[in-house]
Amino acid sequence: MMSWIREWLWLIPLAPLAAAGLLALTPRAGRRRAAWLGIGSLSVATVLSWAAFFGAWPGAGGAGREVNFTWLTFGRTPLELGWVLDPLTGAMLAMVSTVALLIFVYSLGDMRADPNFTRFFCFLSFFAGSMLGLVMANSLLWLFMCWELVGLASYLLIGFWFEKPAAAAAAKKAFLVTRIGDLGLLLGLIYLYTETGTLLCYDEGRGCLEAAALAGLVERVSVGGITVATAISLLIFCGAIGKSGQVPLHVWLPDAMEGPTPVSALIHAATMVAAGVFLVARVYPLMDADVAGEPGLSAALQGVAWVGAVTAVMAAAIAAAQFDLKRILAYSTVSQLGYMMMALGVGGYAVGMFHLIAHAFFKALLFLGAGSAIHGCHHERDIRRMGGLRRWMPVTFAAHAVGMMALAGVPLFFCGFWSKDGILHAAWGWPVSRLPFLLGLAGVGLTAFYMMRQMAMVYGGEYRGGQLKKEIHESPAVMRVPMVILAVAVVLLSVVGTPAWPWLEEFLEGREAAVRAGDLFEHETLWIMGASALVMGAGLVAGWRLYGRRPQRRADAPDPLRMAQPAVFSLLEQRLRFDEVYEATVVRSAAWAAEAWDWLEREVWQGLMQWAGYGALAAGWLSRLSDEYLVNPAFDGGCEGVRGCGRGMSGWHGGRLRIYLRVVAAGMAAMAVWLTWG
Amino acid sequence: MNYGAIAWALAPEAILALTALAVLGMDAALARRWSVPVRWRAAVAAGVAGCLGALVWMAAADPPGRLAGGMLVLDDASRFVCQALAVLTMASLVLSIETALTEHIGEYVALMLLATVGLMLMAGAENMVLVYASLELASLSLYALAAFQRESRHGLEAALKYFLLGGMSSAFLLYGMSALYGLSGEVELSRMAPKLARLGMDPLLIVALASVVVGLGFKVAVVPFHLWAPDVYQAAPLPTAALVASGSKMASFYLLIRFMLEGFPELAGRADWRGWEGGWMPLLGMAAALSIGLGNLVALVQSSVRRLLAYSAIAHAGYALLGVMAGNAEGTAAVVYYLSTYALAVIGAFGVAGIVERNSGGDRLENFAGLWQRSPLLAACLFVFILSLAGLPPLAGFVGKFAVFAAAAGAGGGGLGLIWLIAWALGMSAVSLYYYLQVLKQAYVREAEAGRGSSAAWRVLPATRVVLLGLAVAVVLLGCFPGGVLSWLRAALGS
Repeated sequence: MMSWIREWLWLIPLAPLAAAGLLALTPRAGRRRAAWLGIGSLSVATVLSWAAFFGAWPGAGGAGREVNFTWLTFGRTPLELGWVLDPLTGAMLAMVSTVALLIFVYSLGDMRADPNFTRFFCFLSFFAGSMLGLVMANSLLWLFMCWELVGLASYLLIGFWFEKPAAAAAAKKAFLVTRIGDLGLLLGLIYLYTETGTLLCYDEGRGCLEAAALAGLVERVSVGGITVATAISLLIFCGAIGKSGQVPLHVWLPDAMEGPTPVSALIHAATMVAAGVFLVARVYPLMDADVAGEPGLSAALQGVAWVGAVTAVMAAAIAAAQFDLKRILAYSTVSQLGYMMMALGVGGYAVGMFHLIAHAFFKALLFLGAGSAIHGCHHERDIRRMGGLRRWMPVTFAAHAVGMMALAGVPLFFCGFWSKDGILHAAWGWPVSRLPFLLGLAGVGLTAFYMMRQMAMVYGGEYRGGQLKKEIHESPAVMRVPMVILAVAVVLLSVVGTPAWPWLEEFLEGREAAVRAGDLFEHETLWIMGASALVMGAGLVAGWRLYGRRPQRRADAPDPLRMAQPAVFSLLEQRLRFDEVYEATVVRSAAWAAEAWDWLEREVWQGLMQWAGYGALAAGWLSRLSDEYLVNPAFDGGCEGVRGCGRGMSGWHGGRLRIYLRVVAAGMAAMAVWLTWG
Repeated sequence: MNYGAIAWALAPEAILALTALAVLGMDAALARRWSVPVRWRAAVAAGVAGCLGALVWMAAADPPGRLAGGMLVLDDASRFVCQALAVLTMASLVLSIETALTEHIGEYVALMLLATVGLMLMAGAENMVLVYASLELASLSLYALAAFQRESRHGLEAALKYFLLGGMSSAFLLYGMSALYGLSGEVELSRMAPKLARLGMDPLLIVALASVVVGLGFKVAVVPFHLWAPDVYQAAPLPTAALVASGSKMASFYLLIRFMLEGFPELAGRADWRGWEGGWMPLLGMAAALSIGLGNLVALVQSSVRRLLAYSAIAHAGYALLGVMAGNAEGTAAVVYYLSTYALAVIGAFGVAGIVERNSGGDRLENFAGLWQRSPLLAACLFVFILSLAGLPPLAGFVGKFAVFAAAAGAGGGGLGLIWLIAWALGMSAVSLYYYLQVLKQAYVREAEAGRGSSAAWRVLPATRVVLLGLAVAVVLLGCFPGGVLSWLRAALGS
């Protein structure tokens, strides 16, 4: 059953890509066509993706989940590409296409007034196609190609309003910073290819993620005494760090909020930034490969866990001191991606992916809510100049509140609670150290705190934006409906991820799920659930006490947290000065190196060069003479000769039939003569 | 002989022939009542339906193999050629709605289909009598198709030249074949081969071989038997020219390959640098070198795009001869692949040229100026077709050319004997870029001339658009994913 979808999986990315191609040829005025093409093609992809999801069911059966084909052959080396339909791909396809479809619809309203509506849908479709291609790749080469394509789409869409200097700079920054990580990824893939001779993940036992190849990788030793598997894993993880905004390459993601809100929701919250996490999940067998053979303890995974834990808590702290509505969410995204990395690192593969999918839904919802609020307030993004929007925008408020509770992890009814709880549970069980667990727990409190602060400042209290009060309005239905659907999805998702019936996690690990109500009341589970709920509650209460109970009245009133902890607050407000540090180190040393070379060039080499120059000048004169009198005439003459030949030969085709017939006869005679006597 | 089996095997050809008759009858019956545009659409729709029927039949049925004691060999490879021919005919038919060149619509479409039947039989014929009969069916249909614009003096002149030169080359071919029969007493290529091998370089055999090369060289338009091509490409009705340039060239090349490889395997000779031996190899090598040189050089100075395409077609025939000279299955597969990709691109280029011609009144380079503004779609399609003809990656033309050159380089046990010809072809390909880019420069860089509605959009029929876009997509896809078709062809020809 359903095995046909495996053969036809390529249609899923192709539909939006074809739409993007057609849209590139559509003139600006074709707005209606752009909307139909974009949404229509993505609907096709969504239907097929859900078919793929059910086709990847553990019980769907049929050996060989991968379809490989030869793309090119160099000499005797075939270059093979292929796709794979495993539960991971199925779940990602369904998530990406569904979220993308809702955001496409939302864009109809949000981007309605933009003159470049057609271009927007072209880029967005291009992104969707590339992203869907990325998640189905069986060949890491294919994955890398799509990886770069989504990077390009991200660059184009962050800089969509390229006339704004900030947007252009943000696009450039995103492109350059992620490129640093991509360099590591590329090196990792080359290393992997030289070691295993293939970039196919699964190939009936010959793929690079299958037991035979992994055994070889674990045995060989690379530089510094680490195994080849660890070295490759760490290089590949560099790509994931760049793409998923992990410390220290997270600086591009908050700046990326200069793009349109649907872009932030789709690319920089729900899907593309999660590609790094997905990459780690895709090469999990490689990451997990270790001499000892115990799961979740390899050196590479330990690195992943630490990077994730640090990112999770640090970004959450920064988010607590930002004023730009979208930037708060951006740091929150960085923090949540850290949680996912941490989950994968401590061996909680399925729960990490569950959090990825849950996060995609509730973070998309939060961004759509934020976009709707920004849309209603005439593109005001500073939360100090918002406030009291609950009155004018009830639907947006409700949707945003659902997203907030899911992100903060309010117990029982929101998917974020169950996934985050699973992560904490996995971290508790990690034998290496308990510190990631504690960092994660602290992050939960911070998350609840900054989300409460955001809700209180945007929706609570009085409007602080001055004159525009009269014109605040709820967004149109085309924007409200996707939000409501996402909100319902966020609640429904919580049903399939509880410890009592961990359906999604079991699906991702390829097993049939069973109801195990007892697991819910296990001592350790209950204990961790209780602790995280307690910390979350403390965060909420702290947020409410500082921002909700006595709402601020004026836009320029100082932040309550600043009054309490001025030093900490301003450090966090300046984002721990990462940008400044990079400016002072990387950028400045690059500039310094350039200066140094410039000086060397002017002062040292130039003297040497001066003399060499005179010699060269003399030679130059000589060659100029030869050029002018020998080479140029010869080349010009040659070109003229070629044209002249053409003209001359063209003269033979004068159209005289008699001559034509004679030429044919002469040709025949010449051939016969040549063969006889030649 | 089992006639039932033959009828069953030839069903695709029969479908096309019956469609031709049906179109004639339909048009005759309805001519009075319907307007000309409607009649065009109806006749073309019927013709396309016939081609689709033949295609479906060929795709569904297993290739019948040797028939009638070896008279016809319908194996996988020749059926591939036939399918390509059906596709090319469909494209030419749809493009002819746009030109609406005549009121004798039924006859026009029927002749197109009959020409296709002839070409398809050519691809399967192993028997010299059948070869000649099918060749004449195709040729006579094409002569008549070339003469369809009776009010155009140039058109008639070109058609007459085509007919007279074609008649003479047919005479050469017939003479050569009768001499071959006289020498061997056989009419079937494969049975003829061992008997001819025993004769060595007999004077009569030399004359026969040269005559056959003349006859087939005319059909594929290689120097010095190419003289008809520029006139016909320029002045014949556009869909005819497109079919002559694509379908006829493909079938004739396939026939040439079978004739040489199966009829004269022992008389190949050698065309290596400093290693010449008499036979058909040196003849074809010389023709290839001359065609590549002359075609590319003369194309440089053309101002008519159709004529430019004609000279470039001569050069392409020269490139394809390299694959024939490889003399093995790999070379044949490369030639078939090369010609199918070439045919797709050239039909597309002719289609765009036809639209330009109809809207601006000429096919000179200046008429293409500002095409980008008038119709982005046409310009984008033209971009793909021209760059594929020029052989730039990642388009199909590059892969085809690469395969042909690789086959020629690998022939003869890797001795690189043909390297002189490959080097010459590569050098001339660089020259060819100049005139191909001239066309694109006009389409993309130059502004449309003032007056004449300057940059107003041109109306293009939806069907034409679909066909052009389909051709362009096929060219891109065959370029990006060459592996499947090419290795399939190699396997089909190797067995």
